[in-house]
Amino acid sequence: MRIKDGFTLREIVGQHVVIGEGLSQVNFNKMIHMNDSAAYLWKSVVGKDFSVKDLTDLLLERYEVTEEKASADAAALAAKWIEAGIVTE
Amino acid sequence: MTEKQTYKVAGHVFSLTLDNSALWKSLTNYSPFVYEGGEEEAFSLKIVPEVDLSGKEQLFVSEPENGEQRIDIHTLPDGYVFEMAPLGDLPICGWLKVSKDFSVGHLMTVSNKIFCINNALMLMYAFRTAGMDTIEIHASCTVNSGRAFLFLGKSGTGKSTHSSLWLKNIPGSWLLNDDNPVIRIVDGVPRVYGTPWSGKTPCYINDNYPVGAIVRINQAPKNEIHKMSVVEGFASLYSSSSGLRAIKSIADGLFATVSSVVQKVPCYLMDCLPDAEAAQVCSNEVLGNA
Repeated sequence: MRIKDGFTLREIVGQHVVIGEGLSQVNFNKMIHMNDSAAYLWKSVVGKDFSVKDLTDLLLERYEVTEEKASADAAALAAKWIEAGIVTE
Repeated sequence: MTEKQTYKVAGHVFSLTLDNSALWKSLTNYSPFVYEGGEEEAFSLKIVPEVDLSGKEQLFVSEPENGEQRIDIHTLPDGYVFEMAPLGDLPICGWLKVSKDFSVGHLMTVSNKIFCINNALMLMYAFRTAGMDTIEIHASCTVNSGRAFLFLGKSGTGKSTHSSLWLKNIPGSWLLNDDNPVIRIVDGVPRVYGTPWSGKTPCYINDNYPVGAIVRINQAPKNEIHKMSVVEGFASLYSSSSGLRAIKSIADGLFATVSSVVQKVPCYLMDCLPDAEAAQVCSNEVLGNA
């Protein structure tokens, strides 16, 4: 997976949002609201190819969760990003 | 005879140079904004018979919907060129060549000259001032009780209609601008300024008021108003702000200004019908909280 070009993570009143800012995103008229862990993952993988396993490992590095939980969260988040159109499969 | 005229809109000075006196007579929307002081120009536009487009590379081709104008963008070795047409299925009639920092523009037009000049000045204004606490907004703006109320929405959602309902039904209301007002943060206070650009409504008022509220208009089968969170307000105002977000300095400027405005001003979503009650419901809420 890879984050598509032209999306920028920004912070407003302490909350994270991803905004379409590239030319290819001129008609992307929505914003994705992210929690802290999603924003942490986004910052870690932006500009790189990544897998659900990479996201899982990143979650395990940072948070005290079981591998099972981290893996489920990572898979759910990846699916959500793909559905939102901000990540390619 | 070549003539140059200088204008000031929301405190930003710019000039227009052209040598066609008939055209000047059609540019009366700029008359209230004539400026004769000595402040430095933020940008200048000159109408020229020809522009050099060598080295042009396509950057963005618009896909205008019904009734929307076309603006295609190309890069040049030393700047950009914006190619424009009043409607998507009409041929390109204006070529605006601008420097990388949007301070110097040259416009060649073959038809629809007034459209091209207005469009070129609006583009240059939005892009040049994006990093200067200023945003050009696609909105209709009504003033009441010394405060400006902005109505946002996609083309055809009823921004102008909602303004006109205030003018008819809410005493003390008047129209500041019907299509492209400017918000500028001055001494920490977001203010709305009238501009020479007001869509189909000739309303060119050189005046400004603090923003009372920002209301997104949404057609619905009933009248209901909802307060937005700061993040929702940001999404609402950002999507109605002009600017080429693919240029990082513009995206950064827009983000800074829009996020500051929505932390200082209440934002709403107004589900509404095009009726008098819509203006009542909206004004009851926003005038009380402004």
